Amino acid sequence: VSITSHSLWSPGPEPALLASRDRSSGDIVFPPIPDASPLAPLHEPISIAPEGVVYSWSVIHPNPKIGQQPYALGYVDLRGPLRIFGRIEGRPAIGARCRARPDESFGYVFEITSQGEDA
Amino acid sequence: MKDIHITGAAMTPFGRHPGVLAPELAQRAILRAMDDAGAQPRDIQAIYCANVLGGMILGQVVVRDLGFGGIPVYNVENACASGATAVHLARHAMLADQYDSVLVFGIEQLTQLGGGTIPLQRNDHKTELYAKAGMVLPAVYAMRGTRFLHERDATPADLAAVAVKNRYTGTLNEYAQQRSEVTVDEVLGSRMIADPLTLLQCCPSQVDGAAAVVLSTRRPTGKAVKVLSSVVQSGIRERADDDILDAEITARAARHAYEQAGLSPQDVDVAELHDAFTIAELLYYEALGLADHGDAVALLRSGDTRIGGRIPVNPSGGLLAKGHPLGATGVAQMVEITWQLQGRAGQRQVEGAKVGLTQCTGGGIAGVDHAASSVHLLGV
Repeated sequence: VSITSHSLWSPGPEPALLASRDRSSGDIVFPPIPDASPLAPLHEPISIAPEGVVYSWSVIHPNPKIGQQPYALGYVDLRGPLRIFGRIEGRPAIGARCRARPDESFGYVFEITSQGEDA
Repeated sequence: MKDIHITGAAMTPFGRHPGVLAPELAQRAILRAMDDAGAQPRDIQAIYCANVLGGMILGQVVVRDLGFGGIPVYNVENACASGATAVHLARHAMLADQYDSVLVFGIEQLTQLGGGTIPLQRNDHKTELYAKAGMVLPAVYAMRGTRFLHERDATPADLAAVAVKNRYTGTLNEYAQQRSEVTVDEVLGSRMIADPLTLLQCCPSQVDGAAAVVLSTRRPTGKAVKVLSSVVQSGIRERADDDILDAEITARAARHAYEQAGLSPQDVDVAELHDAFTIAELLYYEALGLADHGDAVALLRSGDTRIGGRIPVNPSGGLLAKGHPLGATGVAQMVEITWQLQGRAGQRQVEGAKVGLTQCTGGGIAGVDHAASSVHLLGV
């Protein structure tokens, strides 16, 4: 399974996250259904604005023996409406505003742009 | 519908078993369960082996030298719900008149993985994407914990109190891996794993174990434990407005289980539920109907889920203290409830228990609540 940042973002000066809309239910699916998928004809491609609000979060503290630094992650609600999971940069808090940007390692990360309710 | 009985139940101590091969561990549980049932290999018509990470045809390897002959062996994988799913499938076959007596066992050797969290699957675009970003099981539950503390009148000490309760009952269970009593301060002061969950709020990841039950349509002599209902449900694709405190898949499985048995949550005398992390126990109080929506913390604080309370939960120590060898867990929960209903649970006995519930969920799969959830009701 190969996921690249390229397959998750629309080109252009104002990048948007790519997703798919189920033609029958209207549900938005992320990541987008690949063109080669047998489910592709059942979906239409759509773009999602990258601004969102943190729904919940955690900071993972890997075993110190591994030497990996703690990292934040969470669920973010986008205007799709769509809730997606991802890495968070900045201090996470429920209700914090954030913005997705392309990322080579993870496809996208969320940057906190303003603090939320439990900050 | 014909009655299905648990005629034999046994398990190995959960813990580190260095130098013991998975088949040997499973055989220990199987032989004890067969002895408990007073059964010989010729009495068994099919075998169900629950396992997650042990490789192909583990069941056949386990029973090869036990003299069962060439009867069907089914290998069952449904993540942490594998053991319960195996019992569920065995019951189906018995209800369909395929078999009268079967053996179900679960086995897992997590110490072979070298420690750390159990990796989630990466077999489609979504699971690959989320796994790469760090979707591990502690994260799934930690995000629920964060939201729970945000929405509810609850504190981190309430989460810790679950660990205090279950780790205490674990001290009463010679089959539990971790048998040390802990305080709220010790729980909160242990190493942070995934905010707000500290180490002592997570089930141990270095654990091996096996459990086995013999199921029969024939009523056994002595106190017969019946399988009153058996339900397995799968997760529904997540939606943008899902409430992650809802544990929808488990609530749905529980509704079906109560309906099937003609019982209500008020009829349950003892429960073994999937407390892989402290927050899980609180969410499942509500999903299983043991507490009304929003009342999980009040139920915990009331003391009613301790041994001696109105509805003791996880008298075995639960996954938090007993350990969680994935494929064995669902079967081990039924072993514990069988012993409880038969008055064989020793120091942790719930007096007078007539109806017991087991619940486990499997796979914090990307894109659904959980991949599988199973609820069983057992009764005498």
